[in-house]
Amino acid sequence: MADSDEDYIATDDEEIGAHNVGKSGRHRPAGGVAAAGGGSGARSKNGNKPGGGAQKRERWEDIKRSWDNVVEGEDGSLSSTVAGLLEAGKRKRLLKDTTPLQRGIIRHLILILDLSSAMMEKDFRPTRYLLSLRYACDFIREYFEQNPISQLGVLGMRDGLAVRVSDLSGNPMDHIEAIGKLRLDEGKGAPSLQNALEMSRAALFHAPSHGTREVVIVFGALLSSDPGDIHQTINRLVEDKIRVSVVGLSAQVAVCRELCKRTNAGDESVYGVALDDKHFRELLIDTTIPPVTRSAKMSASSLLMMGFPSRTVEKTASLCACHSELTKGGYLCSRCSTKVCALPMECPACGLTLILSTHLARSYHHLFPLKNWVEVPWKAASKSTHCYSCQIPFPHPPTKPEELSAPAKTATGTSVSSRYACTVCHNHFCIDCDVFCHETLYNCPACQSSVPKGKVSNGAGGRGDPMEVD
Amino acid sequence: MDTVDASVHYSQAIDEKPSLLVLILDTNPYAWSTLSATLPLERALASILIFLNAHLAFSHANRVAVIASHTKSARFLYPTTTTTTTTTAAAAASGSEDPLRDANKYRQFRIIEDQVQASFAELMNQTTAGELVDAKETMMAGALGLALGYVNRLVRVDDGGVLGAGAAGEVTSMNARILVISVSGDLAEQYVPVMNSIFAAQRKKIPIDICKVAGETVFLQQASDTTRGIYMQLEHPENLLQYLMMCFIPDTATRRHLVPPTQINVDFRAACFCHKNVVDIGFVCSICLSIFCTPPEGAICTTCNTKLDISALGNFGGNPAVVLTKKKKTKKLKQSKATSFSNEASATSTPGTPAS
Repeated sequence: MADSDEDYIATDDEEIGAHNVGKSGRHRPAGGVAAAGGGSGARSKNGNKPGGGAQKRERWEDIKRSWDNVVEGEDGSLSSTVAGLLEAGKRKRLLKDTTPLQRGIIRHLILILDLSSAMMEKDFRPTRYLLSLRYACDFIREYFEQNPISQLGVLGMRDGLAVRVSDLSGNPMDHIEAIGKLRLDEGKGAPSLQNALEMSRAALFHAPSHGTREVVIVFGALLSSDPGDIHQTINRLVEDKIRVSVVGLSAQVAVCRELCKRTNAGDESVYGVALDDKHFRELLIDTTIPPVTRSAKMSASSLLMMGFPSRTVEKTASLCACHSELTKGGYLCSRCSTKVCALPMECPACGLTLILSTHLARSYHHLFPLKNWVEVPWKAASKSTHCYSCQIPFPHPPTKPEELSAPAKTATGTSVSSRYACTVCHNHFCIDCDVFCHETLYNCPACQSSVPKGKVSNGAGGRGDPMEVD
Repeated sequence: MDTVDASVHYSQAIDEKPSLLVLILDTNPYAWSTLSATLPLERALASILIFLNAHLAFSHANRVAVIASHTKSARFLYPTTTTTTTTTAAAAASGSEDPLRDANKYRQFRIIEDQVQASFAELMNQTTAGELVDAKETMMAGALGLALGYVNRLVRVDDGGVLGAGAAGEVTSMNARILVISVSGDLAEQYVPVMNSIFAAQRKKIPIDICKVAGETVFLQQASDTTRGIYMQLEHPENLLQYLMMCFIPDTATRRHLVPPTQINVDFRAACFCHKNVVDIGFVCSICLSIFCTPPEGAICTTCNTKLDISALGNFGGNPAVVLTKKKKTKKLKQSKATSFSNEASATSTPGTPAS
């Protein structure tokens, strides 16, 4: 962390030199990582970046004053502006690409937590360390919610070593318990990206080819104390088709940027530096969405054998094979009739993947996403007075003709008439239902509540279309 | 017995939240007509209205909503927005005609009764015989979607400008639950939307209770199981009111102290996409998660047209390798025989692999 307090201006030579840490294999902090943004970087306004000046401006280069956005309304109060800002925020969150891309549904992911002394900083409350552990638990829950048939493991970086926190497994409670134990500890020493990446590479070595191999790093420090050349590790990660995404907590670090860029086919959007705790959570939770399959080579498609067991209830308790606990109910493996107490799980006796059909159904919305809804101009607004789903009344159309002809989309991206229309059934919804339908329900209630002309819309309709491969 | 004192009682009363009940009534006329001998629709509706009033009577802050899941559409019966003039007119008309109408009736009860009856009559008037020719389905997915959207608005606490607070801290102002009174079966093409609704309810911690008057439905069984709701298959549909009052009246807070009826054996087995067979062990495409009962022809997924790699399956489904019993010629050659035998065993196992 020593360099974070100085105005460090990196030159290209120094940068490369900094990563070529001595071949002797001795631990040496690779201190000269170009730091930008955050506390220290914000001061060095020249923003020296590896790519040079042709790149887009960084977020920290534009100074935003939140009070500039607030304008008094006609009635002299701020309520209308605040409401508009809220709506704009919700809308911005919503608009994402809804092309049905092929995604890696069966994932193998290693979460690497920074447990170094840099995590003891208090810029995130209570400390970076405790906050990242809390969000890691949220991440794990959300990950298994979104990817029920995937695997996860947790590693830590501390004292220049990679520490195994929990093994690759499909049970969220194992990981959450293991992370809970870390709470009593505190961050120590320097982190080593290379060690952690090598260990996760080893952990993902056995992941089958039909699943994805991913690493998510929560990185608080601005340095990496590596025993060797991290660029070689990056090359090996690329060879092994492991994708790395990083959530930085302090500032952008050049080596992380390169790491993300190289392992994600040039896509840098998977590297984010958290501005505040909310943004940190957002960045971390964003990685729970299954990644897009970039090429057919990225993951081989294969046919998997899976068991769909039925639940049994016994009169007398018997031991389950997974935890050796006495339980009365459970699921019997379809192949060998071993009793397990929770699903999804790999049968401890015969190794068959046991799942419920509902687990498969949980992933369908990633494959058949709901299309974005469009803003409604005042001209078309008169056909609805209430939100189709939640029955909240809409504002009435204005009487002045010049207001009527205003464009549908306002400057902030919200709908001028507060209505949002489904492109399939043309029914109108409010912003809250728009958010709810796209983020939680993944259905259009109106499409589902009327008989479609021709064929079934939304989810089932998308099924027939071949999926696009990016 | 000493532990029971007044203080315990008061401390529990503090965290009592009002509850919201969204009732989804399956109004498929075809299914109700088969039930007409035991439970005519009018009597069922009367029972339901009494049940709704009972729910409202618990607390003045309790709310209800009624959604009809009809053959070709799903719509709100209460609260209604579209035809306020006709409903009030109908209410006024019925008010003047009905001699049993009591002027002292609790206003909330009367509003709900009038509106539900009026919009129900409207729904039935709009239903023509022609529409019902082959209409055995019900728009359950749409009704669940409407219900969840409505619950989402009423339950959400004003987050005071904190964006995304709904995701971070799940604080709600009301306990919501959904009750489905179902008379007809599943519609296979609604599988994905119904499942999406179920998972949305699970995330929002909204139990879906199922009152199964007639028919068979696996989706709704799974819905109540996933969301920890009540599942009740009625043995005597004519006693609908009693079932409703005894099983479905407790709200989510009360249920912690009760043992509510649930379905023990939920059918979780999957139906394969190719022959609609119910399978115990299936084959799943890793790209689109389609389920097959046998590896598809030419190892190409029929849903997403992906060429699948079936080598990982090993020789499942192939003929087992038969151990060739060869006569031992001499004892001297035993060592070399053993090696050749193991080679042959592995060679015989490969033809068993399904042809790619």
